[in-house]
Amino acid sequence: MDPEQINEFVVGYLKKKGFSSAAKDLESYHHQNNNGSSFTSVDYHNDPELTKLIRSFSQQEDDPTRYREGYSKLRSWAYNSLDLYKHELLRVMYPVFIHCYMDLVGKGHTQEARTFFNSFRKDHEMVHLRDLQKLEGVLSPSHLEEMEFARSLRKSKVNIKFCQYSYELLLQYLHSTVSTLMLGIINEHINFQVYSGQPTSSSDDIEAVTIVGSFQDTANHINQKEIQWGLLEDSLEDRLEKTGGLLSDSEKGQGESKDGDADDSKKRSTEIGKQGSSLKKLKKDKAGNATAKVARLETITVSPAPRVKPELALPVMSTDVEQSILEDLRNRVQLSSVAMPSVSFYTFVNTHNGLNCSSISHDGSLVAGGFSDSSIKVWDMAKIGQAGSGALQAENDSSDQSIRPNGRRSYTLLLGHSGPVYSATFSPPGDFVLSSSADTTIRLWSTKLNANLVCYKGHNYPVWDAQFSPFGHYFASCSHDRTARIWSMDRIQPLRIMAGHLSDVDCVQWHPNCNYIATGSSDKTVRLWDVQTGECVRIFIGHRSMVLSLAMSPDGRYMASGDEDGTIMMWDLSTARCITPLMGHNSCVWSLSYSGEGSLLASGSADCTVKLWDVTSSTKLTKAEEKNGNSNRLRSLRTFPTKSTPVHALRVSYAFFTRINSTIL
Amino acid sequence: MSIVPKETVEVIAQSIGITNLLPEAALMLAPDVEYRVREIMQEAIKCMRHSKRTTLTASDVDGALNLRNVEPIYGFASGGPFRFRKAIGHRDLFYTDDREVDFKDVIEAPLPKAPLDTEIVCHWLAIEGVQPAIPENAPLEVIRAPAETKIHEQKDGPLIDVRLPVKHVLSRELQLYFQKIAELAMSKSNPPLYKEALVSLASDSGLHPLVPYFTNFIADEVSNGLNDFRLLFNLMHIVRSLLQNPHIHIEPYLHQLMPSVVTCLVSRKLGNRFADNHWELRDFAANLVSLICKRYGTVYITLQSRLTRTLVNALLDPKKALTQHYGAIQGLAALGHTVVRLLILSNLEPYLSLLEPELNAEKQKNQMKIYEAWRVYGALLRAAGLCIHGRLKIFPPLPSPSPSFLHKGKGKGKIISTDPHKRKLSVDSSENQSPQKRLITMDGPDGVHSQDQSGSAPMQVDNPVENDNPPQNSVQPSSSEQASDANESESRNGKVKESGRSRAITMKAILDQIWKDDLDSGRLLVKLHELYGDRILPFIPSTEMSVFL
Repeated sequence: MDPEQINEFVVGYLKKKGFSSAAKDLESYHHQNNNGSSFTSVDYHNDPELTKLIRSFSQQEDDPTRYREGYSKLRSWAYNSLDLYKHELLRVMYPVFIHCYMDLVGKGHTQEARTFFNSFRKDHEMVHLRDLQKLEGVLSPSHLEEMEFARSLRKSKVNIKFCQYSYELLLQYLHSTVSTLMLGIINEHINFQVYSGQPTSSSDDIEAVTIVGSFQDTANHINQKEIQWGLLEDSLEDRLEKTGGLLSDSEKGQGESKDGDADDSKKRSTEIGKQGSSLKKLKKDKAGNATAKVARLETITVSPAPRVKPELALPVMSTDVEQSILEDLRNRVQLSSVAMPSVSFYTFVNTHNGLNCSSISHDGSLVAGGFSDSSIKVWDMAKIGQAGSGALQAENDSSDQSIRPNGRRSYTLLLGHSGPVYSATFSPPGDFVLSSSADTTIRLWSTKLNANLVCYKGHNYPVWDAQFSPFGHYFASCSHDRTARIWSMDRIQPLRIMAGHLSDVDCVQWHPNCNYIATGSSDKTVRLWDVQTGECVRIFIGHRSMVLSLAMSPDGRYMASGDEDGTIMMWDLSTARCITPLMGHNSCVWSLSYSGEGSLLASGSADCTVKLWDVTSSTKLTKAEEKNGNSNRLRSLRTFPTKSTPVHALRVSYAFFTRINSTIL
Repeated sequence: MSIVPKETVEVIAQSIGITNLLPEAALMLAPDVEYRVREIMQEAIKCMRHSKRTTLTASDVDGALNLRNVEPIYGFASGGPFRFRKAIGHRDLFYTDDREVDFKDVIEAPLPKAPLDTEIVCHWLAIEGVQPAIPENAPLEVIRAPAETKIHEQKDGPLIDVRLPVKHVLSRELQLYFQKIAELAMSKSNPPLYKEALVSLASDSGLHPLVPYFTNFIADEVSNGLNDFRLLFNLMHIVRSLLQNPHIHIEPYLHQLMPSVVTCLVSRKLGNRFADNHWELRDFAANLVSLICKRYGTVYITLQSRLTRTLVNALLDPKKALTQHYGAIQGLAALGHTVVRLLILSNLEPYLSLLEPELNAEKQKNQMKIYEAWRVYGALLRAAGLCIHGRLKIFPPLPSPSPSFLHKGKGKGKIISTDPHKRKLSVDSSENQSPQKRLITMDGPDGVHSQDQSGSAPMQVDNPVENDNPPQNSVQPSSSEQASDANESESRNGKVKESGRSRAITMKAILDQIWKDDLDSGRLLVKLHELYGDRILPFIPSTEMSVFL
């Protein structure tokens, strides 16, 4: 290439970039000394690649159609590549796609950006639907600046794991087609982690889903931290096991005969069912059965969870409460895929579309509902059960003033909030109700006095969720202001503020040992925070839409999270890895709950079903089984469809069954 | 560009008083408007999710505006969903249906009902992992369960194992329900309540677990209570309600039900009192049988053949009582005219010769016997008539009958109407019909005459049928029912024919068929005419009649 040409390129380039004066200077300079020998420090003549590269710089730099061409070429190449490497190569497509789009928007080609986006969005809708919906609205450079999601995408690089050969294939393609534009985007925004060997199977794609690369790094870094997921020392379960031994000794003579009974009990209960005796009888039967099972419990817990010390000063439990809990624990029936639980279903009727949340106290005797008209209503199920014989209820009304302060009402009305109530939960003994609302406050109510005790102000935006710690006294809240906070009942200021989520914190849950809380967010991650230090100790990445519900297994080892799409993920807390996604729901998973032994997971969803999952088998599944892909079906034990009633809240009570409630709209 | 066109921005600008908005400014604003709307929607969806809903409401949008520190738009949070209307002439332009309300109407309107207060109801969604079949639960599982049992039945028959959970969860409510129904069926004291019960049986969704109990109950009571006419009738009503219930999967229990129904059809003696109208019961049972055959004939291929065999055996056994014959004829007739043609008409001649002595008052001294014989004769005539009617109806509709023909038909009515009077005399002495009913039958011919004059078209065609069918007319106790029956017979026959002859015959095929069948039918008609005399004529559709005559 002769210097004349080079000059032309340079001038053309400068003009394109808007340095017209510089271009003029250069031109005039060249006119002055026409020999132009000073430019040849690089040997352009022998490097055609470089020539092309430079030429392409000067050629229509701004032409929006180049994005489209480049992308569609890359796309067809990727789709026609070798099957073995195809899924890896296809991973590149999404980052390239969104950055092409954002480049186009950034340069002001709104029209072209739109058509480009629409023509290729189908490719990515499967996995990235939510992100696409967000990006779709970005139409001007200022939006790019404003929107946090877009900003973080622009700033960070995406990590993509590539096997050696895929990487070479890609480079080869980019060089041979001289698609400098694509090359530029890929260089700028993608960070390849090349590893030697065969490409990974496409099923491991979950990690490829999250796009924010630097974020992934920090996540990996954070996830290195050590956590103590064990149960508390000297917990009631511990004491139960100790006393359980004693009990079974003292009851040995009795116990043996009962053991025989227990085997028969299955049969017996079915017989009773046939004869159609009352439910109460059934319960009693099960309770009798349960005592026999306590003895077995010891043998089953072969590898007990490690014990840890509490980092918080925990409240002292009164002996009465302790006794009753111990009693409950003793009566607990071990649930498994063979011994299925009973499900009692509470339906809210005539809610006029206003029920936002509901919850059930730990002993199942109280049910609370939070409504969009700022009210909270608490029902005492025992009283409803007593007066259940219909006609009697009406007669009792006048005499029962204390229970029904407003005459005919069957519930206690708690008024105080000034916005929709988004959560209402009971303290473990059931003497307090904690509610959070769109009016940015959290309120504490007493179920004994039926009155508001404290109003906690601290959040700046609607408080989406508030949860008591497993031992009461402390509680956690989370809000639209992207923080989660820890409070104690006796202070009106938060004790800790957990900040770090990139979007709303939608749900919060305590770890059984009280040292950690987990939060689920609209940024599609779940985080685990240390309560004592307020630091984030785990980030769980894998959900494809906003996380709506969380549950911790009773042994503290696992966590389940449910999202907007109906996917439930089981996480191992120590490794921060997803054990298994549980697919089955096709709409929002509103609530999750583990059974007392941690062997079953119940999920309630907006698709009007309650599903039971066998989580013991899923954790023990071998790799081979998982590869078969049908493991999902094995894990899903039962589906209970309701009569078009979305399921809002679930609680596995201490005794033996799941309680669920919901609303008819 | 953006989904908000610049015209929209201009229109909105005008509506808030900005008239001099530059087109460029509108063009710049449009994408921003879209972005803001999307932003609001994103927040609104969050609010919706936290309200645990899957439909976005106006209050969610208000909530989202609050989050952005924007004043909410008032006047939309009405609770109910909006009604959108399509703008006429535009494909995707919608507006809210916001009617003007007259102030006066609002003031004068009565107070609306107070909204019901929120309540909690409780039920078992599952008991030890099994969903009980109660009305509160979705009926999905309930319907599926028997299908599974059927498969098992065919395979290796561990029937008990599979059905157990359904029995097992028979709730207290269901037991009470069953008891109540059983009591009602036995007591026969409270007809309106019983009717309610039947409606509930025919429509309730949670009754499936009770089906085996009901079939058992019916089978037991039918075999024990053959003397109790009312009870039998009640039981048959239960059967019909169960068959009608769309939530019940009755197939596996049919084998238990069929004997009871057939018993009510062809039993020698139903009810012990003289007044018991067992004919009606037999007719009812016949309808049930045909209903069952129609619905489940495709699943149980042997069902109809077994049934017809039973009925034909009953019919052709001269030792069997006339009541049994009657039941058999009605049962066969209800199965459609193909069955009648194949099974009754072929045996018609010998049977009639057998029946002849019984009909004759001189030869048969027992009045009751004569009455029964006439009943049978009537049933036979009706069956044959409907059959020939159905056959002739296959022909494509011919031009509507000319008025002159109607007169002819009436003329015949008059001619034959001498017959019934004769017969009625014999019947009246033995029959203890209610006076009112007799009155109707007596009035029959005269009424027709008067109506003939007034000339109400549909009645004219049908009334002769009634007249010309003396045995039915004179002895049918519920004359009103029978009358309507006769009235419907024509239209219904058309339907029966259509469904019966479901092999889709194209128009051309029909025409071919006609010419082939023409002779055949003609012969059949002649034969029937020989046997029945003019009594068969009213069954023949008028137009065809004109052809044959």
